[in-house]
Amino acid sequence: MNKIKTYIDNANVSRFRFWVQLVTFILFVYGGYWGISISQNLPIFACPYDHATGGTCYLISLQHQLHITWANLFSWRGVAILTSFGTFLIFFLVLNKAWCGFVCPVGTLQDWITKLRKSLGIRFSRYEDSTFKYLKVIKYIFLLWLLIVPLAIANSFFGLPQMSHDWFPPFCTICPTRVIMPLFTGDVSQLIIDFSSTPSLIMTTLGVLAAGLFLTGSFVKKRFFCLFCPMSALQYLFSKIAFLRLNKDGNKCTKCGNCYRVCDVGIKEIADDITSKNIVKDDCMLCLKCVEACPEDRCLEVTFLKFPIISATEEGFFKRYGTDNKELKDE
Amino acid sequence: MNKNKNTDRYERMKKTSSVHMAMEIKKTLKETIEDFPNNPEGMDYFYKLVSIFTEEKKINTNGKKVIATTCVQVPTELILAADAHPFRMCSGAYSTDQIGSEYLPAKTCPLVKSTLGMMHLDFYQVDKKPLAVINPTTCDQKRKLGEISRDLVDVPHYPLELPPTKDTEEARIYWQKVVKRFTKYIEQITGNKITRQKLKNSIRKVSRAQQEYRKFYTLRKGKPVIWGKDSILITNTYFYDDIERWTLSMKKLNKELERKVKNKEYITNARSPRILLTGSPSIFPNLKIPLLIESLGGVIVAEEFCSTSRMLYDTVAVDEWFMYDMVPALADRYLKPCTCPNFTPNKDRERRLLEMIKDFSIDGVIYQTFAGCQLYDMESRNISKLFEKNGTQMLLIETDYSPEDHGQISTRLEAFIESLKTRTHI
Ligand code: SF4
Ligand code: SF4
Ligand code: SF4
Repeated sequence: MNKIKTYIDNANVSRFRFWVQLVTFILFVYGGYWGISISQNLPIFACPYDHATGGTCYLISLQHQLHITWANLFSWRGVAILTSFGTFLIFFLVLNKAWCGFVCPVGTLQDWITKLRKSLGIRFSRYEDSTFKYLKVIKYIFLLWLLIVPLAIANSFFGLPQMSHDWFPPFCTICPTRVIMPLFTGDVSQLIIDFSSTPSLIMTTLGVLAAGLFLTGSFVKKRFFCLFCPMSALQYLFSKIAFLRLNKDGNKCTKCGNCYRVCDVGIKEIADDITSKNIVKDDCMLCLKCVEACPEDRCLEVTFLKFPIISATEEGFFKRYGTDNKELKDE
Repeated sequence: MNKNKNTDRYERMKKTSSVHMAMEIKKTLKETIEDFPNNPEGMDYFYKLVSIFTEEKKINTNGKKVIATTCVQVPTELILAADAHPFRMCSGAYSTDQIGSEYLPAKTCPLVKSTLGMMHLDFYQVDKKPLAVINPTTCDQKRKLGEISRDLVDVPHYPLELPPTKDTEEARIYWQKVVKRFTKYIEQITGNKITRQKLKNSIRKVSRAQQEYRKFYTLRKGKPVIWGKDSILITNTYFYDDIERWTLSMKKLNKELERKVKNKEYITNARSPRILLTGSPSIFPNLKIPLLIESLGGVIVAEEFCSTSRMLYDTVAVDEWFMYDMVPALADRYLKPCTCPNFTPNKDRERRLLEMIKDFSIDGVIYQTFAGCQLYDMESRNISKLFEKNGTQMLLIETDYSPEDHGQISTRLEAFIESLKTRTHI
């Protein structure tokens, strides 16, 4: 048992993650071709505008379900909302934010764009701390937007007129995923801008712009889009009760900052917070690069229902950042 | 330019000091080697390395250009990457402390005085005069050292602007910029370009040295197989030795020590009080306090010094192995985990000490401050309060490089160690 644990602690998690991401990418982008349809309520951006997707993003289901009149909300359709949410929650609780780090095809795509940049030797950029603080909030605004607009289309709020149905689905129409993911099956139809009404024009234009921004943004900034992702916001509301966790023992931390350096989303607390035990922050994707880079035994540790899965160790650190590092091999 | 050097007086000073220094080193070496039985064989390399100083020989730098540093915060990887030989000048010699005293206020820290004396007399531990002295702006005295040395030392002085605080993002970014500029400076004075491949190689070299050091560090968490005076000497030789040679010797020593652990060949009876030594750094040949502690029956199992663990413990992690990420990563490594008391706040040192006390099963802490070393002295207040709360025994000792306080300190140490013994035996 101990041997297995040491093996895992010394493992190259990033390489493992690469392969998992590749498999899940194929599954969620092309799975439909083999008749795979895992669920309608997945906590990832498996986008149904890609007709071959192997499952569906919960956000689109949620928007459709919330397109409901007040009266219906308390009928059997309300129950459907709950069961759908329940499925989402169960999925999410198992892997916590590792859905983002290991499974989401949009996250994977960004990581590949990063790999491309790296292979060209072009430097990345980071946000200033102060900018980061403001940008972080945007995903919660998107989340509110996608929760409220469907209701405002189906109902009148405070006697105001109902919103036009052309705003629907309010997030998907502006989501870069809708435009980009179908491209992987050769479907270019989502690049079209819809001139039929003002809201449609605004929304589809924004969607195409967002797609452009997505591609350029993730070229210069690692996981550029994830910072704004409303799925990430929704996930984080339940992250504290998830089964898979990233824990930190602050007493063991030397604040060396190794973990912060390698973190693709720039989570400063991972190094500086020495009091929280559960260290999963809203932008974290549980990629575990920080665990790989931490040289203090059991300072960072991933647990599943309290059972330790992988821990930071000195030995593992020196393997990954020393002897086993292919960048550091003798020339 | 006359650097007060072309005089008879200077030549005389140089001669007598070198005689005094040889004597001083001989005496320390004798006390380090002969007064203790069963020194590990692997120590021979390190003893020999410092004993060449008694014959006025120098460390061989294999024809490389040489760059001197004065504090732990200099990213030596960059110097190595420019094909130069870094060496840390900080001196523990009383003979040169007396020379430095001539040019500095009376209440200056002996380490600063001694280092200035070394530089003034051209007593470099390596076989060549350095191209520059890289001096991180840590304590006030080191900061001013550069200006005072202007007329006394004919090697250019480069102040490396270390921020006075390290927890904020501003400090981190500022320091990254300073280190980037420093990279250019090293390239300029050595005339060698620091390429991506070279920097990767030097990061690897340092990382291997650290890996061996950490192995050694961890070994000492168990029952003692090596004396603390030897440990301090080992890390001291890292100041000037060729890094690969050092790592190799360390590897051999670790193998031997691992064997000793397996065979239960402990250096002293397992009930000797386990001491953590911290404060102003013990630097060869000033091993006064460690030697005293261990001759009085204590065993130093850990040191929290900038000449020991603080220099070699913390590692660097690079995400993208290009200059744009390696250089800032190095900067982070020399700033973020550093527990030098020049930082405010310096909570990290308190946390580090508490963790070490636990990890090394420490019975008592001995806190050394040099007369004139204000920062360590001031910080000892909070630390002793912390220990009071925590129930850790601590002895604060103020000392300097002169042998005069030997008797008085010996009495205090003896009493402290005895009290620890009775405690551990209950
Ligand atoms: S945050 Fe990124 S990885 Fe996570 S669901 Fe959103 S797009 Fe996917
Ligand atoms: S905090 Fe760790 S697990 Fe989370 S995104 Fe950053 S590196 Fe990955
Ligand atoms: S890498 Fe580990 S020791 Fe270093 S700051 Fe992060 S959690 Fe702390």
